[in-house]
Amino acid sequence: MFKKGLTRRDFVKAGLLTAAATGLGAGVLKPTGLWAAEAKIKGPVKVGYQAILSGTLAGYGEFHKMGVDMAVEEINAAGGIGGAKLEVEFRDSTLKNPEAIKNARYFVDSWGADFLAGVDSSGQALALAPVMAQLDKPLMVTHAATEKLTEQEVFKNGVKQIFRICTPTYQDGNAAAFVAKDLPAMKWATISPKYEYGYTCWGMFKDTLGKLKPGTEFVAESWAPFGTTDFRAHINTIMDANPDGLYSVEWAGELITMMKQADQAGLFKKIKHVMLPVGAAMDVLEGLGAEMPDNIWISGRYFFLYPDNPKNNEWVAAFQKRWKHYPAYVSETGYSSIYAFKAAVEAAGSKDTKAVIEALEGMEFDSPAGKRVFRKEDHQAMYSVPWGLTKADPKYPFKIMGKMVVIPPEECFNRPPFEGAASMPPFKS
Amino acid sequence: MLESLIHVCLAGLSKGMFIWLVASGLTLIFGVLGVLNFAHGSFYMLGAYFCYTLLSMFSDNFWLGLALGPLCVCAVGFVVERFFLRYVYHLHLPYQLLLTFAFVIIFDNLVKILWGGGSIGSPTVTGMAGSVSIAGRLFPTYSLFIMAVGPLVALGLWLMLEKTWAGRIIRAASSDREMASALGVRVPALYTGVFVFGTWLGAMGGGLAVPYVGLLTPGMGEGIIIDAFVVAVIGGLGSLKGAFLGALIIGLLSSFGTRFIPSFDMFLIFILMAGVLLWRPQGFFGEAS
Repeated sequence: MFKKGLTRRDFVKAGLLTAAATGLGAGVLKPTGLWAAEAKIKGPVKVGYQAILSGTLAGYGEFHKMGVDMAVEEINAAGGIGGAKLEVEFRDSTLKNPEAIKNARYFVDSWGADFLAGVDSSGQALALAPVMAQLDKPLMVTHAATEKLTEQEVFKNGVKQIFRICTPTYQDGNAAAFVAKDLPAMKWATISPKYEYGYTCWGMFKDTLGKLKPGTEFVAESWAPFGTTDFRAHINTIMDANPDGLYSVEWAGELITMMKQADQAGLFKKIKHVMLPVGAAMDVLEGLGAEMPDNIWISGRYFFLYPDNPKNNEWVAAFQKRWKHYPAYVSETGYSSIYAFKAAVEAAGSKDTKAVIEALEGMEFDSPAGKRVFRKEDHQAMYSVPWGLTKADPKYPFKIMGKMVVIPPEECFNRPPFEGAASMPPFKS
Repeated sequence: MLESLIHVCLAGLSKGMFIWLVASGLTLIFGVLGVLNFAHGSFYMLGAYFCYTLLSMFSDNFWLGLALGPLCVCAVGFVVERFFLRYVYHLHLPYQLLLTFAFVIIFDNLVKILWGGGSIGSPTVTGMAGSVSIAGRLFPTYSLFIMAVGPLVALGLWLMLEKTWAGRIIRAASSDREMASALGVRVPALYTGVFVFGTWLGAMGGGLAVPYVGLLTPGMGEGIIIDAFVVAVIGGLGSLKGAFLGALIIGLLSSFGTRFIPSFDMFLIFILMAGVLLWRPQGFFGEAS
């Protein structure tokens, strides 16, 4: 109790600071940079991070960790957060809901975490919402994409502790529809995961594309359960329907398997327009290598060649130097989640939950993926990720995005109050 | 419609034969040793990884990888049986399950340490990378190959068990362990031999999966082992004939289910298993106890 409370000296300092702030006016008091270092934060800043570290998706956890470790090394080498040391503990989320809750409770109750981050599965993120409200610590979601987390839990149920730094299903469903409307394809079909994520994305894609381009038909759906290794029956279903376009939110290893088997079945010879909302993940691009066909539309939560600016390029180079890998999108979201906390703590001058939430709401900050703004209402980070067409490049042993199309988040992300057609794209203004 | 039906059948048959390749070793080990080997899926995974590593060492020669990889896994199987499993034969089933399950976790993590946690996209087989046109649609050549290997393995196992001296001894030891032992059969050594052979079958399944699934991931054995268990239960635990038939049924059922009743495709397989357990708990070819 006493240790955590303010000492008299802090109190005086804080008083002086407030006085100075009032004197200077709110516009000047934005404690970043040197200012922030002055506003000493008590004790280490502790972040509990959970990601999948076991099973077939263990590679994702490793990539989360690379990004996070790099942020920790950089921040501590530069003097920590507001002068306090940054500590991160990693735990395996296993993708099971009870385990996610157990981890969160352990982090806060036993380990003394100030902040939580990570979480790959949408189911886990939703299960964590009431727990986070109870534990009352900010959670920065870096991978789970369900829009229900921010629309329902944050906006409607008021779980203000949750923020999301990665693009949600809007990127996979809505943004894909904006790209698809300009393609000469009128009949679409899908092979997608047989769970919430697959249904939601396909539903969004259908809704938005239907509105953008009336007359578009959606002719077949084939749902593959988690862990599918044989997509041949699904591929048959799609080929029977004879569509012009295939949309698939299969991801990670299953996407690699599906692409290989679809290629063997001659699917890409028949279906010319293929959209893979999570096809730009590094594990998929590297896993398929030259076997990824050209001219496939891919996207992700971040792609290392976008934006082409010094901040991103330097980060990618540093990442490669440190890990001998190109950064996966979870490396970027993991890395940036730590910097988001740093910026918020330094802006708030405190690691207190309420103050940090206030600082995060509407906060704009620069990250490798570009400028991000946390939307005040639903705590969703607004930033753009390109959609691009695959092409070979002699510089890389895998396919990259050639032609890129960027749909601004303001145009394709659902808007508060998340009710009725006016909340969903296309927007009039 | 007809071309679709033909391809749904082909997809089902190749899937069934692929599951059979894994289920055969599991069934053989259960039939002779009476051990439900959860780690069989790990041997499948190790088979895939060893095969992959060896084939990349020999300039992507898949056949060399397939010949040598499973042999390396046999050494692992030997250690598991000789130094661990042997000590729990006389204990209750839960102990055997616990021990073999522990190996699943150990091997999954070992693979993560040795090959990394990410997935590895595997190369296609030289000479079998393409597809052939059947009924106006392409079908992968390699899937045809799997469909041919399945029955060959079945035939080979049948010949070995029914027509050879070793097979007679294996059958004798599996039907009455004490009597075989009294007649001078060295049962422990025989058990080791059968376990290693079963391991080899599982690892071959894994090696053949390298181009079939097209992907290696730590934990890749956990999915296939469930299919293999379902197949073994439906066919009758320990019955190779039953496992072969069970694999065909599961392969076709899941293929037709996915195509024609997609909302129930996963359900179908388990309803079949539940039905078999209710009305014929010993499976199609199992012996009633």
